[in-house]
Amino acid sequence: MAESSVTTRQDGRAFGEVYDRGYQHYTGPRLGRAHAFRALTGYSMKRALGSKKRWTAKVVPVILYVSVALLVIIPLGIEAFIDSAEVLEYWDFFSVAWLILGVFVATIAPEMLCGDRREKTLILYFSRPITRLDYLLSKLLATGLLTLTITLVPLAIFWLGRQLLDDSPVSAMKDHAGDLWRILVVSVLVSAYLGALGLVVSAFTGRKAIAVGVIIVAFLFASALAGVLQESIGSDAQQKWFALISPAQTIDDFSGGVFGNPQIDSTFGEPLSAWIYGAVMIAVVLICCAIMYWRYVPED
Amino acid sequence: MSQAVADTSARVPAGVVADPVIETVDLIKRFGSFTALNQIDLSIPRGAIGLLGPNGAGKTTLIRILLGLAKPTSGTAEVLGFNAFSQGIQIRERVGYMPEAECLPSNATAADFVGHMAEMSGLPKTEARQRAADVLYQVGLNEERYRLIKGFSTGMKQRVKLAQSIVHDPSLVFLDEPTAGLDPPGRDSMLELVDRIHNMMGMTVVLSSHILEDIERVCDYVVIINEGQLVLAQPIGGTPEGGAALSIQIDGDAQAFIARLNTLGIADARLRDRMMGLPEIVIRSPSDKAYDAVRDTAVELDVPLVSMTGRTRSLEDLYLQAVGAEALDAEMYGGV
Repeated sequence: MAESSVTTRQDGRAFGEVYDRGYQHYTGPRLGRAHAFRALTGYSMKRALGSKKRWTAKVVPVILYVSVALLVIIPLGIEAFIDSAEVLEYWDFFSVAWLILGVFVATIAPEMLCGDRREKTLILYFSRPITRLDYLLSKLLATGLLTLTITLVPLAIFWLGRQLLDDSPVSAMKDHAGDLWRILVVSVLVSAYLGALGLVVSAFTGRKAIAVGVIIVAFLFASALAGVLQESIGSDAQQKWFALISPAQTIDDFSGGVFGNPQIDSTFGEPLSAWIYGAVMIAVVLICCAIMYWRYVPED
Repeated sequence: MSQAVADTSARVPAGVVADPVIETVDLIKRFGSFTALNQIDLSIPRGAIGLLGPNGAGKTTLIRILLGLAKPTSGTAEVLGFNAFSQGIQIRERVGYMPEAECLPSNATAADFVGHMAEMSGLPKTEARQRAADVLYQVGLNEERYRLIKGFSTGMKQRVKLAQSIVHDPSLVFLDEPTAGLDPPGRDSMLELVDRIHNMMGMTVVLSSHILEDIERVCDYVVIINEGQLVLAQPIGGTPEGGAALSIQIDGDAQAFIARLNTLGIADARLRDRMMGLPEIVIRSPSDKAYDAVRDTAVELDVPLVSMTGRTRSLEDLYLQAVGAEALDAEMYGGV
């Protein structure tokens, strides 16, 4: 197969040799639909973080990761030097980090869907062994997993740091294992909830800048709307239900409930049960999936 | 045009093809009240298949149905033995598709994207990367494969589209207007690649195009669709419906020449004026009497006979028979 030739070196090996590689049929394994699903998920995550793109695409994710890292490292540092200090509690994390979470989701969700729609790459994906539902679930999974890196990972590090600061780290870990499970549950649900909200907005436009703007404005507007409704038409019994309109308040109240420390908000009063917030978040994820599926269902 | 279509668009029954790669029976696709495909019966053999028809004839709709991407209104379709409606996943594992429209991500390198498409077709990561490099080499993008696609010319983008369609080594590949937007050298090059895919790589190619020359150059079997109707499906080299033709070029009044031929009993003489050069008159299935009539007419009308050539029945003849001369002119000369 290697035709060619050229100058032969003194050691008998050719250099500058040109090979006609011909065409080799592929005889290896074909891993099918599940592999395609995983490949799409992994590729989407890497692209959303700016992998194999110019450095400018990596700036915002890096800033957000550094910010959230500082958010848990600084309190840990303070607690390390001041024994009685408790600067940050698990249930405080989501209210403190809300801005970072919102911007992170507004950054990555449009990267998941808008480019494929705008550059008409969808037709190439759909000519592969996946369904439209596979495509959407893969994008939702990719968004959720990336959001977990900014919710679960810092919280887990914070939990681990706290136990290591204890006089008896091993027994502290055993004693506080329940907190780790709560961190996992809250982080997974919050990531799915925020990811679904970000994706459903992104599904309606091919322009990333528009999607980013709409997601951020929607988060802010929802919080403002919840406050206005509470002030204007809510009775005492209804006030706390308006918190469900605001993603920030919903997440805050849900995490407080799960960690057994419900926070009485000055605007919305006593929060609802964590189960209600959890159920609403799951319902929102399902509704967003249904809307996205409708959006991506074939027009013919 | 409508008259020509009415004359020639009768349904063609499925031919008997051993081991067909594509088979459709009574395939109908409607969009509201518009019928995009009407009772398509097809049996397509392996090889290089030309899917020919004017713009809007239903070629892309047919491809989308065969890929399992669109549901037909009624009828059945099988690709590589798989049902196109219920086994779309299995079909798409084994089939490649190069769409007509721009569909590449601008902010990715060719190697990265084609490798990703290989993974999406089920190839493991390492093999996908290797295949992407090999296939990009095959389509002539070896050096450029690490450049961002947004810096590519139209011809290079077409090659990337072609590469992603064959990177998983499919048995069958659909190429939808692969020469669209290319200049003549780019078009030549693309057709050479398509020919290589069929002859060297052994894939069955379905080349959808509205350009006769592309199909004639690469394909050995043609399917002609017009206004949603299947009007012809047969080997290009074969001349089952007609035999040779006689082509005459004269330097004079072609209409008067044809009228005189008609009076001499040559009814099948037709002007094929391409708006360039001398008029060409074609006589289908010429008998010995036709040659004598041409000679006598030239003498009687005192018209110089520039050339008189026997022609085999070409794809153009088949297309003319199928969709009519007006449609051909519209396709080849933009309706001039």
